[in-house]
Amino acid sequence: MQGELKYENVETARRDLENRTLAKIEGNFSRLVYLASLRDYNTGEYNHEGLANRFTEPLARRAIAACHRDVFSRLVLCSVEELVEQLELYIRSNGSAFAEFARVWRKLQPYTVTVPMECSPLTARFFAVNVRTALAILLYRQAPAHPDPLSSSLRP
Amino acid sequence: MSLHPYFFSIVSVALALSLAFLWRRAPRSFTAYPEASDGEASVPSGWDPLTSELSVRIFNREDSDFVTRTATWRISQSFRAERTALALQWLLEVRRHVYFLMKAHRRAARRDPDLDPVSELRLGIDFLLFQITSRVLYLVIWLIGPLHAAALVGYSLKLAAALRNMTEDLVTGGTRVAADLLDNESETKNRAASV
Repeated sequence: MQGELKYENVETARRDLENRTLAKIEGNFSRLVYLASLRDYNTGEYNHEGLANRFTEPLARRAIAACHRDVFSRLVLCSVEELVEQLELYIRSNGSAFAEFARVWRKLQPYTVTVPMECSPLTARFFAVNVRTALAILLYRQAPAHPDPLSSSLRP
Repeated sequence: MSLHPYFFSIVSVALALSLAFLWRRAPRSFTAYPEASDGEASVPSGWDPLTSELSVRIFNREDSDFVTRTATWRISQSFRAERTALALQWLLEVRRHVYFLMKAHRRAARRDPDLDPVSELRLGIDFLLFQITSRVLYLVIWLIGPLHAAALVGYSLKLAAALRNMTEDLVTGGTRVAADLLDNESETKNRAASV
């Protein structure tokens, strides 16, 4: 009985996070970046004061982890074409200049720290390749009308 | 004079030598990974559920066709090379997981008094077929990329699933048998102590 109650509470906390916060964020890529930003890079634990106040801290962490896994799964299994759209949406919602965004992302590769902790190295690598490709395609689209076809590359 | 028989012979010998080379090389990937302790009969954890689903994307033309249509030649080439490397890594993950399942199965089978020789023989043949198929698949992916190897993936996955089902049933049964034996042993000791 206690096990069922715990599961139900995690699900309630998860729905709360989805309805109150994630629903207001446009696009799965933006949601992924947001959820990853809730994680402490030293401990790997998620922190969300509002959610922890409404539920308990352990429940809030499990709910955020579940949402993070769910959003990541959707992105990692979507096509490269969909990922290009998601990335474009994220860049627009950021309001950053595309050239600067692309330069920073190619250099720092911040998408590598957005993967969940339980993610296997293979899945993480697959995601990184897809994001690099999506970024290269977006860069190519932004390039002048007749770019040198050999000038663009997936390599950072 | 036709050159076809000579060409066919050279290709066959090259393929056979490559397979022999891969057969000798591949087991090193398995022994590099830590094994469960001898006392455990549990199925090894750590298998990412996404790994199975990734195969749909890795071996599907959709992404490759899209990148070819919308990007430069260099981006397409890089993408195809990366996908080939990912496909090979995926295959090694699947083989490693099946290898661990078989090891756990052998440990559990030693404790099972009701072992069915026919099922064991069937399992052994399936495992052998899986090893052959996966090695051929590795070579095919390495030579011509994951897209052309897609047909073989389905067969390897079905064999892996069958092996997983058969070993999990036996491991669950083996764990129960081990727990019963431990209970009996502690009861015997308690009785001896009370006397």
